[in-house]
Amino acid sequence: MFQVIGGRSVQASRLLAPRSAVLVEAVRGRKSRTDPVAKSKEGRIKTPPPVDPVEMVVLKERFSEYQLLMKSLRMAFKEEVLRKKYEEETGSRAEERAREEEEEHRALMALNDQENLRMLRLRILRVQEQAEKAQRKKLKVLLKQEQGQQKFLKEKEKEILQLQEDAKNFITLENLDQRIEEALDNPKNYNFAIDKEGQVVKQTILQ
Amino acid sequence: MPRYELSLILKAMQRPETAATLRRTVETLMERGAVVRGLENLGERLLPYKITKHNQRHSRGSYFLVDFYASPNILTGLLNHLHRDVDVVRPTVLKKDDRVPSGFAAPIQEMHCVKLPSWTLFS
Repeated sequence: MFQVIGGRSVQASRLLAPRSAVLVEAVRGRKSRTDPVAKSKEGRIKTPPPVDPVEMVVLKERFSEYQLLMKSLRMAFKEEVLRKKYEEETGSRAEERAREEEEEHRALMALNDQENLRMLRLRILRVQEQAEKAQRKKLKVLLKQEQGQQKFLKEKEKEILQLQEDAKNFITLENLDQRIEEALDNPKNYNFAIDKEGQVVKQTILQ
Repeated sequence: MPRYELSLILKAMQRPETAATLRRTVETLMERGAVVRGLENLGERLLPYKITKHNQRHSRGSYFLVDFYASPNILTGLLNHLHRDVDVVRPTVLKKDDRVPSGFAAPIQEMHCVKLPSWTLFS
């Protein structure tokens, strides 16, 4: 029959100045539209609350004045806000401000460009130096490699020449007899004696 | 090509026979594709112990050194051949290393690095 209400569905006046402790409103709860009227309520005639005309008039006047004032205040505030906004966009100061901002912007952009140029130049120099350094290093490495190769080649050549020289003394079929005779005539002795002072004695008895 | 050394102990023979044996050996080497660098005679001496080979007992032998360059493939065949030769008492092929192994002090006077089998040095 009565339902508790609250929150946003309620008027502000009802929330702020409620008649009872709990905010209730009538709601079709137990009975539906088609149900017959209760016996206790058979001859009931609903009458609205009585109104005092004098009071009514006074209240009406006061209320109308009050509402007029409130509305006017509201309109005044709204107008102020709108005017401020309008002035900000298209007022006298607006153009000056816009110009100042643009100049500032241009100045800053110019500064930025300068800085960029400076950094660019420095960077170019730095990159060049690095490239040169790398190039020099590469050349050095190449040079070293070349030198190493040359050294190696020279050593090998020396060895080859040495071997060629030795090759003249090798035994061939023609030399063979001669060399055999030579060898048989000159027995070689590899034995020797050495003491702690490092004196070598080559003369040994060959049996 | 690796460098080898053939240390050869031949039977104690007369000079012409020794020469013939040596000639035979060197020719065998050259047939098998070796390049003979040199031939050295270490003399005829008493063997450190009596060696029996080819049904003969030897107490004296003549030592020879042949150093040559050869491929490693021929060595087995060569050794087989030399073992079968009647005049050869003991053939030994050793590898010759050009580098002096580390741990040896620098020679004070002339020192020879040829590796002879230890039993040939002192007798």
